[in-house]
Amino acid sequence: MLSKLLKHEFRATGRIMGPLYLVLLALSICANFSIRLLDSSDARFLNILGGLIMVLFVLCITAVCIMTLVLMINRFRTNLLGDEGYVMFTLPVSVHEQVWSKIIVSVVWFIATGVAVCLAALIAAFRVAYVGQIVEAIREVMAHITAYYAINGVGFLLEFIVLCFVGIASSCLQCYASMAVGHSFANHKTLLSVVFFFVFQFALQFLGLSGAFSFEGFNFGGPQAIHAFMLILIGLSAAVGAVFYIITTQMLKKRLNLE
Amino acid sequence: MDNLENEALSTQHSGGAVLECKDLSKSYGNMPALNHINFSIEPGRIVGLLGPNGSGKTTLIKLVNGLLTPSSGEVLVDGMAPGKQTRAEVSFLPDRTCLPTWMTATQLLDFYQDFYADFRRDAAEEMLEHLGINKKQTIKQMSKGTREKVQLIMVMSRSAKLYLLDEPIGGVDPATRDYILTTIITNYNPEAAVIISTHLISDVEKVLDEVIFINQGQMVLQSSVDQIREEKGMSVDALFREVFKC
Repeated sequence: MLSKLLKHEFRATGRIMGPLYLVLLALSICANFSIRLLDSSDARFLNILGGLIMVLFVLCITAVCIMTLVLMINRFRTNLLGDEGYVMFTLPVSVHEQVWSKIIVSVVWFIATGVAVCLAALIAAFRVAYVGQIVEAIREVMAHITAYYAINGVGFLLEFIVLCFVGIASSCLQCYASMAVGHSFANHKTLLSVVFFFVFQFALQFLGLSGAFSFEGFNFGGPQAIHAFMLILIGLSAAVGAVFYIITTQMLKKRLNLE
Repeated sequence: MDNLENEALSTQHSGGAVLECKDLSKSYGNMPALNHINFSIEPGRIVGLLGPNGSGKTTLIKLVNGLLTPSSGEVLVDGMAPGKQTRAEVSFLPDRTCLPTWMTATQLLDFYQDFYADFRRDAAEEMLEHLGINKKQTIKQMSKGTREKVQLIMVMSRSAKLYLLDEPIGGVDPATRDYILTTIITNYNPEAAVIISTHLISDVEKVLDEVIFINQGQMVLQSSVDQIREEKGMSVDALFREVFKC
């Protein structure tokens, strides 16, 4: 059933994100021409037009990023905790499947937005020579990391990617847990969701600080320490995500309070 | 393990009540909404869950759906506590339209077909066509009345074991009321039980086999409609007015 939930969740979100990515792509192509125009032309009108397109391009990048965040929050709020919750929570699926479908789809859109923005920036700045230069630069950075820190550059990159996935999922779950708790009250559901988000954030920072002190005196020297550090970060992120996951699912199971 | 236990329970109860409430209570904080409710409903019955506004009808229906958890006592659907498996057997019409508004009628048909093995797409399409509803139109573009009809069509196009209809005729015109009641009667699975929660008794009385009166969270009466007519010599509507006289 998770696959069916995913299918319909992608359908619901794709109709918003798809067109936004297309606009971003179109604007990045326009931005590319504008950069050439601003470089080569002295005509005032063309320069203003080029400038305007660049402003639009930057606004579009911002809009895509904000929309990804808004969509993640809004899908959970309206689809599960709003009126649509009556349809969703009476489907023959478990609460776990419901929450997983939301996490997976949100993480995919966050990653897709990251990739889309990078691509758009590349398209905007595109000269054929750049591609070679970028590939060369990445290779150089990896070689430097490997040589300087004597660690496995590819391994480090993989750990970084995993950390991104786990970190995004964990942040989504923090939002979900805040909403699940906030919406269990009879009144001021949205306000309480925001309050609980900050309560969780405060708790995390408090625990993070105490945790940091406990590492005092710990020797982080040596190449292996960087891998260990990354793995600890991934582990901590996953643990935090797991706590929020339990809060979210338990609240939805036991304290669901649809209007 | 859960599944095995549920299956075992299901077999044990097969042929028995499709819905059972045993000493069921629910309170919101200190406010009791349902107080030690006991009843059971057999398959093949159309039952009116009748009571004034705020009597606990919607709370009871939410408990049966698993949208709320009981404070004490238990509710069993086909011998199982509400959960993933019972939801496959229960077709629920909420007291509000809550279909995703961005979906077209066709997308909604896909949605129901994907999640419910007992969804009869042909029946749903036929009813939509009969009402002249454009399947390419989104729910958002439809009028309130049309949305309610679409929701009812989706709910009644399933071959469920238990239909829970919360205020299916509240807020619609008399012609639509007739359409809704006819749809319920002609589309429900004859081996299933139908529970219609409402306070508009005179409109539904003609379709009911049985009634349950609840007031302020307490069960006042469970009786067959024929029994009320024979023993008390009055219609359900008249009895309701007498019992709940203000």
